[in-house]
Amino acid sequence: MPTFTYNDLQFSLEARGDRWDLSCARPDGSRGLAGAGLFPGLSEGDALARANALARTICPVGIRTVGPDVNHPNTIGDLKIVGPDVTHPNFIYWDKESVSCPREL
Amino acid sequence: MEIKGSVALVTGGGNGIGEAVAKHLAKQGARVAVVDMAQKNIDRVVKDIQEAGGEAIGIQANVTSEADTARFIKGTLEAFGQLNIAVSCAGIIRDGTMLSLDKETGKVSKKLGYDKWQAVIDTNLSGTFLTLRDAAEAMVNGGWQGLLVPISSVNKAGQVGQINYSSAKVADALMPKIIIGEFLMRGIRNIRCVAIAPGYTATPMLTGMNQDALKAILADVHLGRLVAPEEIASMIGYCVENEALNATTIEITGGLCYPKGIAK
Ligand SMILES: NC(=O)c1ccc[n+]([C@@H]2O[C@H](COP(=O)([O-])OP(=O)(O)OC[C@H]3O[C@@H](n4cnc5c(N)ncnc54)[C@H](O)[C@@H]3O)[C@@H](O)[C@H]2O)c1
Repeated sequence: MPTFTYNDLQFSLEARGDRWDLSCARPDGSRGLAGAGLFPGLSEGDALARANALARTICPVGIRTVGPDVNHPNTIGDLKIVGPDVTHPNFIYWDKESVSCPREL
Repeated sequence: MEIKGSVALVTGGGNGIGEAVAKHLAKQGARVAVVDMAQKNIDRVVKDIQEAGGEAIGIQANVTSEADTARFIKGTLEAFGQLNIAVSCAGIIRDGTMLSLDKETGKVSKKLGYDKWQAVIDTNLSGTFLTLRDAAEAMVNGGWQGLLVPISSVNKAGQVGQINYSSAKVADALMPKIIIGEFLMRGIRNIRCVAIAPGYTATPMLTGMNQDALKAILADVHLGRLVAPEEIASMIGYCVENEALNATTIEITGGLCYPKGIAK
């Protein structure tokens, strides 16, 4: 299974029929599917190159989720809504190309 | 336009209505970009689509950010090579009346915070604008057939406790008229725009609600139940296929009425 590392994230490509599934190990240790059924008909080498470019676009350097803010739910009656909150951004951005983004903020 | 073979982008695709739309379009043969703030939900939806034999990509992004919007459009084009359908489902609520009074003095005790106003306008209105603007740019430059779908709400009619939400949703409902008018003016013929205004829909937010409050809401719904997210999704699928639908807002509410049976 071809793999590559980008921005502290480990990606792997898996063939499914004539397509490729791209999965990714998240910084918190979980594994998620970044894409399914990609790059139909491409060879492993070409798919890997495309996957690399795709990872660089969708997971830019310096994007890390830090929310949602579970301590301040939005309350309607007895309903507590812990949604993303644009006034307390869930994302922290930084702009330096680096393979060791800070894990602690 | 055929759904099969098309490429769709759904913001708020990690939950509720957006999730149903992403899955429905994938099931009909579209390749789908699932855009949301919540990575766990994105992963779940992409996995479900994969297990059903579909094609999808997940992109974590904040629709209120111009840079993120450019990134998820670019990511979609990089993965699938085109873009045909953009559905703007990302939305939030921050309810409250504009003023609250102290019961004893009758004076104002609380004002709706500007943060609550701004957050809802940012996500539900500016986010929709950015998504549709950049999706349309890609569709025009790529020369692909396209459909833009802002998600409004039946509360565009003006819901107490939702001055922020209703203001954003009435503006979302206006977008198809303005966008298509401008497209006609500019000679852009390959892109349509249809807004969807759902009524009370069974997303996790509503189904987890106080059951008495829910019963009170359902008393005013002719259908007698919440609208299913899949019903909204299939309406959007129909909008893709029926090219005469354009420059309009479609309500799908199950027959939501004001008390005493006046249709909303
Ligand atoms: N549920 C209803 O009864 C109902 C009725 C009318 C209209 N709507 C509208 O339908 C749309 C979807 O609603 P829903 O009930 O499925 O909500 P939901 O809360 O289940 O899902 C909304 C999704 O949007 C995402 N999101 C929120 N802010 C975001 C941001 N800034 N960037 C990226 N993603 C973001 C959330 O993470 C979530 O996954 C909303 O626009 C809502 O206003 C819902």
